[in-house]
Amino acid sequence: MNPPILRVLALLAVVLAPVFAAPAKGADAPIVIGATISETGPLTVDAGYQIKGMRLAIDEANKQGGWLGRKLELKLYDDKSDPGTAVRLYTRLITDDRVNLVVGPYSSGITQAVAPLINKYRFATIEPGASLPDIYVAGNKWNFQGTASSLQYLDELLPIAQQHGAKTVAVLGLKSAYSLACYKARLEQAQKLGMQVVYQTTYSLPQPDFGAIALAIKNAHPAVVIGCTYYPDAVGLTQALHDQGFAPQFLAETIGPVEAAFGKAVGTLANGIISNTSWWYNYRTPGNAKFIAGYKAMFHEDPDYHAATGYSALTVLGAAVTATRSLDQEKLRDWLLHNQVQTLIGVFKVNADGLSTEFTQHMAQIQNGAIKLITPPDLAEAKLLVPYPGT
Amino acid sequence: MLALQLLVDGILLGGTYVLIAQSLNLIFGVMGVVNLAHGSFIVMAGLFTAWFTETTAASPLLVLPIVLLVGFGVGAVLQPLLLERLVQHGRRAELLSLMVTFGLDYVLVELALQVFGSNYVSIPYLQSTFTVGGVTVSKALLVAGVFGGALAALLHLGLNRTPFGKALLAASQSATGAVSCGIDVGRMRLVAFALGVGLASAAGVLLVLVIPMAAESADSLTILAFVIIALGGLGNYVGVAVAALLLGVAQSVVGFYFGGDAENVLPFVLLIAFMAARPQRFRRAA
Repeated sequence: MNPPILRVLALLAVVLAPVFAAPAKGADAPIVIGATISETGPLTVDAGYQIKGMRLAIDEANKQGGWLGRKLELKLYDDKSDPGTAVRLYTRLITDDRVNLVVGPYSSGITQAVAPLINKYRFATIEPGASLPDIYVAGNKWNFQGTASSLQYLDELLPIAQQHGAKTVAVLGLKSAYSLACYKARLEQAQKLGMQVVYQTTYSLPQPDFGAIALAIKNAHPAVVIGCTYYPDAVGLTQALHDQGFAPQFLAETIGPVEAAFGKAVGTLANGIISNTSWWYNYRTPGNAKFIAGYKAMFHEDPDYHAATGYSALTVLGAAVTATRSLDQEKLRDWLLHNQVQTLIGVFKVNADGLSTEFTQHMAQIQNGAIKLITPPDLAEAKLLVPYPGT
Repeated sequence: MLALQLLVDGILLGGTYVLIAQSLNLIFGVMGVVNLAHGSFIVMAGLFTAWFTETTAASPLLVLPIVLLVGFGVGAVLQPLLLERLVQHGRRAELLSLMVTFGLDYVLVELALQVFGSNYVSIPYLQSTFTVGGVTVSKALLVAGVFGGALAALLHLGLNRTPFGKALLAASQSATGAVSCGIDVGRMRLVAFALGVGLASAAGVLLVLVIPMAAESADSLTILAFVIIALGGLGNYVGVAVAALLLGVAQSVVGFYFGGDAENVLPFVLLIAFMAARPQRFRRAA
C-alpha cells in the first residue's frame, strides 16, 4: 500500500474511531447525568442554587455508594441563559457525551426549547426549573415537572390583600415563559376576585430603566403591586418604585427577593416585600434538616427553594432508577408516570402529561432583613407585615 | 405636574446616558475607532465599584475619581498595545479596529465573569427621595445624572477651551492638518482613548447606582452608546449630549404611556427612523 493511501486510512481511523467506539459504560463505570445550567446571563443567581442542590444530592448519593452500585457523575455545561445554546448542549450531552440520564435546565423558557429534543431522544427527564404548565402536554411525554406550577406563584396574595381592604392591583410580567404565565394568572385572578387592575405591562431584559414604569404605577396608585420577575428586574422594580416615592400597600415579586443577593442590592427597601417559595427551612418533609446542614457545609451559604428543587429532582430520578433497577428510559418513564416520591418540596406526582399535581407554592416576606414564611398558617414563621414600608 | 415629573426623570436618565455616549464619541472622533469593548469598560467599573463599596463601605463617589484614573491608565496601556499599530494599515484601520475591540470585548467580559461572577449587582446608595414643587426626585438618580452630565460638560469645555482640547479636536477633524500644525497626532490618539476609557469607567460607577448591572450588560450598553452617537451625529459632542437627554426623556414618556416593551425598543425605532430620514448624520464629522 502506498504512503498516501496509508495516510488517508490513518486519518479515517482517527476521525471515525470515536464514532464506532463503544462508550465506556461497564458495570463499574459511573452513571453520567447530563444537564445544562445558566452559569452566565440573567438567570445565573437562581440557576446557581438549582445546580448546587443537584451537586449536593449527587455528593450524598455517592457517599452512599451511588445508584445501582455505580457512582454518579455530573456532566454540566453553561447554557448562558440562552434557549438556543441549551438545545445545542443537550444534543451534545445525548449524542456526543452519551450521558446515561439527563436533568432539565433552569427556567421555563429554556426548558420549553429543550423539551422537543428530550422527546426526540426519548430521555425520561425531571424538569426542576420549569414551572410553566404549557410544557407538560401530550406531545412532550418525556418531560416531568419537578417544581410547582407558575400559575401558583403568589396565588395566595390577592385573597389576603382583599381581606386587608385592597381593591386595586398593578401586575407586571417579564417576557419569559414562566413569568408571562404568572402575569396572566394573576390578572385573571384579580378580575375573578372583583379587584380593579389599574396598571399592567410586560417588559424584556435587559430593561435599562424602570423609572417610567414605576411612575406609571405611582400614577395609577394600586394597593397591590405584583411583579412576575426574575432577580435583576425584581431589583430594578423595587429601586424604581422607591425612586418615584411610591410604596404600595403590598409589594410582591415572584423570583428574586428570596435570594440573599437581593437584600444586598436593595438594602432596607427589601423589608416588607412578599415573594413565593416552593420550599422552606421548616418544612417537615423527610431529610429537610439534613439537606440544609449539608448545603451549608458544602457551599457556605443558605439554600433557597431552587436548591431544594434541584436536590429533589435527583431524589425523584434516583428513586426511579433504584426501583426499576435500570437506566432504560422507557422503564423510567413508565415508573415516573405511575408512582409518587416524597421529596424535600413535597410529593412528586404527575398526571398523564407529566404535570405536577402535588407541589405547591407558599408566601414568604422579608421582615427586618430576614425572610420569613408567612403561609400556610401551620408553617408560618411570622404574621404578614402590612403595609410595605418602602424605605 | 406629571409632564414635569416625566421631564425631570428623563433628563436625569439622559444625564447618565451622556457620559456613556460622549466617552465613545471621543474615541471614535479622534481615533476613528469603533470601540466595541466600550460597554465592557463601563461594566468592569460598575462591578468593581459594587464589590469595593460592599467590601469597604466606602462611598461610591469616593471611588469615582479612582476608577476614572485607573480607567485612564488602562486605556493608556491598551491603546499603544492594541490600536496604535493599526494606524499603519491606512483605510483598513477602522475595520481592523472593529475586530480588535470585538476581541477585547470578549476578553473583558470573560475577565469580569471570572473576577466578579455573573450576578447582577446594584448598590443601595442614597436610597431616599425628595419632592420639589410636586416632583419627586431620587437622590441616587440625581447624583448619577448630575455627575454624568457634569463630567460630560467638563469634557466639552476641556475640548473647546483648552489648547490641548483644541489639539484633540483638530486631530479628530483632520489628522493631516493637525500634523501640519505641529500636533503630535499619535499622542492625541493615546490621550483620546485613555480619556474615553476613563470616562466610560466613571459612567460605570454612576450607572450601577441606579441600574442593576452584570458582566453581560456590556453589549447592551455599547449598543445604547452607539444609538445615541448615531442620533446625535458622530463626532458631534453637542449633538450627542442633546440626543442622550432627548432619548432619556423619550424613554421616560414612552415607558410611562406604553410600558416596558415600548421603552426598550424605542432607541432602535429612533435609529431606524433617523437612518431613513437623514443618512448623512451617520457619516463621521469631516
